[in-house]
Amino acid sequence: MLRVAGAAQSFGDEQVFERLSLGVDAGEVVAVIGPSGVGKTTLLRTLALSLEPDEGTVTVDGTDAWAVDDAERLSMRRRVGMVFQEASLFDAPVARNVAYGLRVRRSWPDRLRSLVRSAGPADAVRESLAVVGMAEATCRPAASLSGGEAQRVSFARALAYDPDVLLLDEPTSDLDPRNTDVIEEAVEEARDRGIGVVVATHDMHQAERVADRVAVLLDGRITETAPADVLFEDPSDERTRQFISGELVY
Amino acid sequence: MPLDPIVHAPALVDLPFRDGYVSSVVSVSLYVSLVAVALSTLFSVPVAVVMAFADFPGRRAARSAINTGMGFPSVVVGLAVLFLVSNQGPLGPLELVFTKEAMIMSQFVLATPPITAISLAAVAGVDENVRDAARVLGGTRLDVALVVLKEARYGIVTAVLAGFGRAISEVGSVLVVGGNITSADGVSKTRTLTTAIQLEARQGQYETAMLLGAVLLVLVFGVNAVVVRLGGGVTR
Repeated sequence: MLRVAGAAQSFGDEQVFERLSLGVDAGEVVAVIGPSGVGKTTLLRTLALSLEPDEGTVTVDGTDAWAVDDAERLSMRRRVGMVFQEASLFDAPVARNVAYGLRVRRSWPDRLRSLVRSAGPADAVRESLAVVGMAEATCRPAASLSGGEAQRVSFARALAYDPDVLLLDEPTSDLDPRNTDVIEEAVEEARDRGIGVVVATHDMHQAERVADRVAVLLDGRITETAPADVLFEDPSDERTRQFISGELVY
Repeated sequence: MPLDPIVHAPALVDLPFRDGYVSSVVSVSLYVSLVAVALSTLFSVPVAVVMAFADFPGRRAARSAINTGMGFPSVVVGLAVLFLVSNQGPLGPLELVFTKEAMIMSQFVLATPPITAISLAAVAGVDENVRDAARVLGGTRLDVALVVLKEARYGIVTAVLAGFGRAISEVGSVLVVGGNITSADGVSKTRTLTTAIQLEARQGQYETAMLLGAVLLVLVFGVNAVVVRLGGGVTR
């Protein structure tokens, strides 16, 4: 569904990754693991069509997203949801945050009409908040949420407009075990809905728990991609083995 | 026996106001300042958004020019506007000399740098992750700009208040381009509270000047309260 092929990305003289290929299909969870600063976030931003790769392609259902016009690329981007490492919520109530993706997909006359008649939160907003256990928080200001609650709302915000693919950038790195459980259960729920999920994490145990496939990103390249049980039990690449066993320290 | 103070407390009953004088002065002050600040806000905020996020040659120089503009001497601005609107100036045919429109022009020039500079700081200070989220979650450029403006609204309200403060308290430029004129029946044509205060003080009418000063303070306080209320409060 969404894939990068032969992608290279650099910032100035710094090469983040090169010849990188990775894809995700509907109802599949792919984990990208690697040490901090290796380029996982850049990879996710490339997949989110937020960064154009220096080389290679990003395709959505086989169409090169950077070979089409802005309007078509926007419609492709709108099939992707993303949760950032920091919740990055807007300074607004929870329901308005979660409704953002739905709102920007509506026409301007529709948006103006909804401003005039103040209906309650849309069903999709309530449902996605229920997935992360925040159904009662619709009216709370985003600023009043704890870090874990904010990240759960951020997840609901990306889920509300029913994307085909969800990109999660270290979604639980700052969370306690309870909130981590909620997010991981929400990933399962997304998979059950047929959403493809790419989760970037440095937590190998989390990758093992949630992912169908795991890709290991080391030194700007994916050293190995394999089903989670295979990769953690019997990695075929020596550097992957060293990284998993902790011999390769960054 | 105690000495009489030079300045007496104002006795409202014997102030030498003609009917409608104070209200017309207040009306001219508010009209000129509010229109100038409204126009300046409409101009400055989009400029601030573009300057914060667009990459174009001369961006740094433009930013320096805006910061320099905050220190424009108001009399010089008034003089420049007077040249523009004078009979020999490029806007001469419009006959704007000593009109409220000319005063609005000079106040626009004075209010724009602080409104732009403070808005720019507020907009540029919006968390980059929030901007990214607005975009990645499907927003167009306009959607992202609206999110940024909403996030920066407290700073923008502060910018508007700073611009209004500069405009309403202005003396030099409005005196030059407005002329401090009243009609034969004493109703203000281009006289503002500040120029009236200056005139009354020069004529030794300290009570009148003080009363007009008090009116000006009440006006500034009132407008601040309304703008802060509309902006949802400057502090969170």
